[in-house]
Amino acid sequence: MSERNLITLNGQDVEFTAGETVLEVAARHGLEIPTLCHDPRLDPAGACRTCLVEIEGWRRMPPSCATKAMPGMVVSTESERIARHRETLLSLYLTDHTQDRTEAESYGPDQLFEMADRYGAEQDWGAMETVRAARPGDRNPYVHFHPESCIVCARCVRYCEEVEGVSAITLAGRGSKTTIATVDELSLLDTTCEMCGGCIDVCPTGAMAEKMPITRTARPERELEKVRSTCNYCGVGCQVDLNVDTAANDGAGRVVKVTSPPAGTTTNDGNLCVKGRFAYDFVEHPERIQVPLVRGADGELRAASWDEALERAAAGLLGVKERHGADSLGFISSSRCTMEENYLMQKLSRGVFGTNNIHQCAAT
Amino acid sequence: MSEKRRAEIPERLEREGGLTPGAARRVARATGVPEAEVYGVGSFFHLLADHEHPVRVCTGLSCRLAGADGVLATARAAGLPVTECTCLAACDEAPAVLKERSVLPSVRPEDVERAAGDWQRLTASTLPQDGPWRGTVGPPRTDPDQLVFDLLGPQDLSGSAYEKALGLDLAEMLELLETSGLQGRGGAGFPAHIKWRTVSEQEETERYVVLNADEGEPGTFKDRELLLRRPDLVIEGLAIAAATVGARDVFLYLRGEFADPWQSLERHLAEAEERDLFSGIQFHLHAGQGAYICGEESALLEALEGRRGMPRLRPPFPAQVGLWGKPTLVHNVETIACLPAIVHRGGTWFRELGRDEAGTSLYCISGHVKEPGVYELPLGVTLDELVEAAGGYVGTLLAFSPGGASSGFLPASERTRPLSFGALAKAGSMLGSSGVVVLNDTVDLAWAVREQLRFFEEESCGQCAPCRIGTRYLRESVDHHRHGTAAEPLGKVADAAWQMNEGSICGLGQAAALPLTSALKHFPEAFGLEPTSDGDAP
Repeated sequence: MSERNLITLNGQDVEFTAGETVLEVAARHGLEIPTLCHDPRLDPAGACRTCLVEIEGWRRMPPSCATKAMPGMVVSTESERIARHRETLLSLYLTDHTQDRTEAESYGPDQLFEMADRYGAEQDWGAMETVRAARPGDRNPYVHFHPESCIVCARCVRYCEEVEGVSAITLAGRGSKTTIATVDELSLLDTTCEMCGGCIDVCPTGAMAEKMPITRTARPERELEKVRSTCNYCGVGCQVDLNVDTAANDGAGRVVKVTSPPAGTTTNDGNLCVKGRFAYDFVEHPERIQVPLVRGADGELRAASWDEALERAAAGLLGVKERHGADSLGFISSSRCTMEENYLMQKLSRGVFGTNNIHQCAAT
Repeated sequence: MSEKRRAEIPERLEREGGLTPGAARRVARATGVPEAEVYGVGSFFHLLADHEHPVRVCTGLSCRLAGADGVLATARAAGLPVTECTCLAACDEAPAVLKERSVLPSVRPEDVERAAGDWQRLTASTLPQDGPWRGTVGPPRTDPDQLVFDLLGPQDLSGSAYEKALGLDLAEMLELLETSGLQGRGGAGFPAHIKWRTVSEQEETERYVVLNADEGEPGTFKDRELLLRRPDLVIEGLAIAAATVGARDVFLYLRGEFADPWQSLERHLAEAEERDLFSGIQFHLHAGQGAYICGEESALLEALEGRRGMPRLRPPFPAQVGLWGKPTLVHNVETIACLPAIVHRGGTWFRELGRDEAGTSLYCISGHVKEPGVYELPLGVTLDELVEAAGGYVGTLLAFSPGGASSGFLPASERTRPLSFGALAKAGSMLGSSGVVVLNDTVDLAWAVREQLRFFEEESCGQCAPCRIGTRYLRESVDHHRHGTAAEPLGKVADAAWQMNEGSICGLGQAAALPLTSALKHFPEAFGLEPTSDGDAP
């Protein structure tokens, strides 16, 4: 079996499992093949053309993302032809791209510039005016489309359809005018869009960008420190990366953006929802409650330790039980709790206080 | 089932009057396809996306040579709702104008003036009083035994070739095809018998036959004449193909501007049904909605499925994984129309009709010749022979495109080269769809190049960067060169052209630089460049 599932990769015989693409086999062997439109969660599109490789006996260079390894294939990922291909392709891309790297990176990371640097592509082929339509009237609060940065790889469109099942955006128009659009150019708010922001996350060039004012004025993402955390908006436990500008707040740091960890690395597989991705500005809100508060004899709230606060709550609840019986109490837990926390809540209700009045707000 | 509903999207949008506000949403509700996707499909096709201009003037190369600019200016001055469009497959009757979905031939500024500002009254003085207009075909019908298509001959409603084909088993039919040497006439010249064999060998038994009648390569208009004059050959050929590869459903994809050929086919299909000629085979007519790229077979399949007409990655090939994922035999109109004659007269007869390759070909010729039209001549005649059939040159030959815009330009010194797939490939060109355009020495070749580049820029599907960006980059570079608006405007065009050929997904992008690269090679002086010693582009 293993004898049959062999390909030659840059002169080395390597094994593959049935169904693996040339790109996947190459990645497992530490070979770098550039990609822009590829995403492991999506069906391969082969559209950005950066990942072309040579296969012996094939007249044309196929996209490695969409080409399945077949026994006996002889694959090259580096050659003069491939090098010239990468260089000329990237040079051509840049003629139809914003020339202002600083501006481009204010929208998000721009892999096109990084790739052009890495592969030594000439960046002086001239610049053409962008003819892709924007959606200037879109009043949605989160997602901005910046057509000058768009390379029309359609990762956003395919993600919206294949992962989210939402299909709020589409490729529209044709030729050099091909753009990312909504039905009848409506605001995303008037479409099926759920504002998950996945289009921003998958965009390789920052053409799908955040409108959030904090993010828009922040330093480029590559200069921010990523702090892994768990989203606390529900019990799923999505992992998030808080992007921290460590120099902000006089060195105290500030969360200026939330991104999802790369696909395939955490349970949420690179996905987030509208709350997890965009609802982070509460962190710096002046009215945010950061310590427990208890009410004093004067009726005013004052800061307290957790021990004091929990004791006060326990005493209050026990007092009610004593005066009115256990069934005068009811416990409602939050949908932001995990399953384990919900279990503990009913344990508290039934075992400690002796009532079956326990409910969870997502149960109805 | 929902996949079949998706296929209704283009036609439903057409009934909505195009992509008018709200139309996509209504069609989405009716088909169950997300509304953004419906919008994406509608916006892809010219005839749906632009619903505000019922009148469109072709500003392709042949039409501009014949005065399209004057027609357009007159129409604009008269306040008609008019816009430009790409090739309407009427280069022999240039300039052509599209009125809703009908092509008006040889329109003059006087015709536009006569409409007096009312586009619905616009007509062409050359239109016949009775029936659809037809182009010139030739040569005179001296020996029908030497003709495959016999465009001037009578229609055959007997179904006898189909009957005869039913008497052959699969192996015999494939052998007949192989002996005939029939090549795909849509552009690639691929041996037909290999496609048929591939479809027949698939494990999947649900198979389809598709007719590619989305004729749109500038300089090409033979499908139009075939469908108008000999729909019998086309339908019988399709029936033979379907019976051979085991298909029950045949899909005919006609370009939407072919109102007259459509009626011709419909009439003939009704007649065939009345006579019960091809029982068990269902013919389905589909209208294209204005996209040259849908002449590319995998883009055509996408369009048939109700998607944006963006070519698929290959492999797999349509013969393996085609319409709705089933093995599909896709053929050009001319290829299919060869079948009745091959079945009747045999493979050897067909093969020997040609010079260096098999059969006769329907050569379309336009530009600077006396009698533009469709001429059935042995495959492999020279330009001089073809032009002689077409009444001779007008002026002094400078350059010619042997196979549509995609074939680039060849110099007059190639006038004796056989116009065949193999011989033209050796010259770095192609026979393509045999749409020959002749240019005399009054033409500014840099201008002609620019016009062809503009065509590809307009018609690129936009899916892959080499084509989407490259077609525009080349056109802008030539514009900069012609207007002196950039330093070294042609400095990177060779690299860009290389990238388009190597990096593009489909044949459009791979060939789209040829008008420029061939002109730089053969006519450097047209760009103010010195010829190099080896005759190659600097």
